[in-house]
Amino acid sequence: MDRLIQFIGYSGFANITPGHLLMILVGMVFIYLAIRYEYQPTLLIPIGFGILIGNTPFIEHGGMALGIYEDGSVMNYLYQGVLKGIFPPLIFLGIGAMTDFSPLISNPKLILLGAAAQLGIFMTYIGAISLGFTNSESASIGIIGGADGPTAIFLSSRLAPHLVASIAIAAYTYMALVPLIQPPIMRLLTTKNERRIKMKPPRSVTKLEKVMFPVFALLLTGFIAPGSLPLLGMLFLGNLLKESMVTKRLAETAKNTLIDIVTIILGVTIGASTQATTFLTQSSALIFILGATAFMFSTAGGVLFAKFMNLFLKEGNKINPLIGAAGVAAVPESARVAQVEGLKADPTNHLIMHAMAPNVAGVIGSAVAAGIMMSLLL
Amino acid sequence: MTTIQQILPIDLSAIRSEHLAQALTGYSVVFLSLFLLALLFSVIPKVLSWNVRRRFDDEGDAAKKALAGNMIPGEVSAAIGVAISLYLNELHDQDTAILTIKKVGKSYTPWNSKIYNVINFKGFQR
Repeated sequence: MDRLIQFIGYSGFANITPGHLLMILVGMVFIYLAIRYEYQPTLLIPIGFGILIGNTPFIEHGGMALGIYEDGSVMNYLYQGVLKGIFPPLIFLGIGAMTDFSPLISNPKLILLGAAAQLGIFMTYIGAISLGFTNSESASIGIIGGADGPTAIFLSSRLAPHLVASIAIAAYTYMALVPLIQPPIMRLLTTKNERRIKMKPPRSVTKLEKVMFPVFALLLTGFIAPGSLPLLGMLFLGNLLKESMVTKRLAETAKNTLIDIVTIILGVTIGASTQATTFLTQSSALIFILGATAFMFSTAGGVLFAKFMNLFLKEGNKINPLIGAAGVAAVPESARVAQVEGLKADPTNHLIMHAMAPNVAGVIGSAVAAGIMMSLLL
Repeated sequence: MTTIQQILPIDLSAIRSEHLAQALTGYSVVFLSLFLLALLFSVIPKVLSWNVRRRFDDEGDAAKKALAGNMIPGEVSAAIGVAISLYLNELHDQDTAILTIKKVGKSYTPWNSKIYNVINFKGFQR
C-alpha cells in the first residue's frame, strides 16, 4: 500500500499546479499555430512539444533526475548546448549555407536598412533599464529586437543565463508573429504612393563577388566587433561552403542535416526550459512586453530609414520603404511580409528580391549588435 | 487594486547617461560596420571591371568602356538562364534515330471483315 501511495505521489496528477496547466496550454497553442497557420512550424512544433515535456509535473529533485534544471538529467545535458552557446553558431553555419547574399551585393546601399532596423535592440535596452533590469539583462532582452533567435540565445547565454528561456521563447514567438506585428506599423508609417514605388531589378552578381563577400564581410565585421565572431564566423563559413561550389557536400550537410538536428534539440530544450516553477515570473511577463516593443521599434526603424534615404535618392533609384521592415532578421518572414504588403498596394510590384537584401543584412546587423553588447558589458 | 505602475514599474531615473551612451555607441557601431560593408561592395564591382575597362580604353572603344562597369541586368541574366535551361532540357542523352512507332499492315481477320460489318446486317438496311 505504501508503494502505491508513493507511486501516486510521484505521478503528474499529484504534482500539478495551475502554472503547469497554463504552460501546457501555451505549448498546445504553439503546436496549433504551427500546424493550423504554419507559423514557423520547424521551430514552434519542437518548442511547443518541449513546453509539454518541461511542464509535465513531477517531483523536482526527487532523485530521478528528470527536470531540465536537474544535474544529470538527459534534458540538462542537451540544455548545455543552449547555456554554453554551442547551438547558435551551428545554426548560423546552416543559415550561411542556405543564404544567398546576391540581392545584398547587387544593391549594397540596402545593407543600411539592416543596420537601421536594429533600432529596437537599443531602444528596448533603455526600456529594460527603466524597468529595473540590470545592464546585462537589459542588453539580453533588447536583442529580441534583432528578431534573430540564435543571436538572442547566444547573447543571453553569455550575459544573463537565467533569462535564456524567457528571451528565447519571446524571440521565437514574435518571429512567428511577424506577419501580424509588422503590417500595421508598415502601413502607419508609409503613404500609399510610397508603398507603390517600383524598384529597379537587381543586377546579376558574379561568382567572384559571391566568394569574396563572406571573406571580406567576416574580416570587416570581425575586426570591428570581435564579440560577433562565433556567430558571424560560422555564418560566413557556411556561405563560403555554398558559394565556393567545391564543397557542395559540406554545404548540403550544413544546410540540411546539421541545422535540422540542432533545431530539433534547441527547440525542445528551449521549450522544456519553460518549466512553470521557474518560468512563470513577473520578469518573464515584462520580457514579453519588452520583446513586442523591440519588434515594433525595429520595424519602424527600418521603414523610417528607407524614407530618409529616399530624400537623397534620384527618381528611379528610390527605395520602397516597405522593404525597410525586412531589416529585422526574421528570415525570410519579414521579407515575405514586405512582398505581401507591396502586392496589396500594387499587384504588379514584387518586392521579395529587394527585401531579401535588408533581411540578410539584418542577420549580420543583429549579430554585430550582439558582439558590441558583449564587448561593452562583459 | 493593481495599478499600471505595479504591472510596469517604470523608473526613468534608473536610466543614466552611461546607458544612453552605450545604446548610442552600439547603434552607431552597427551602422558603421554595415556602412563600411556597403561601401566595400559598392567599390568591388568597379575594381573587378577595372581591367576590362582599361583594355577597352587601350583599344579606344569608348562605347564598350562605358558598358564595362555595368554588370548584366538581372532581367537579362534571367532570360539567358531560361534559354539555357530550355536548351539543356531539350537535349537527350542518346538518340538512336530508330522510330518506335511503325505502321503495321492490316492483315485480314473476321473482326475487320467488310463482309461481316454491322452495316451489312439486314436489320440496319432500309
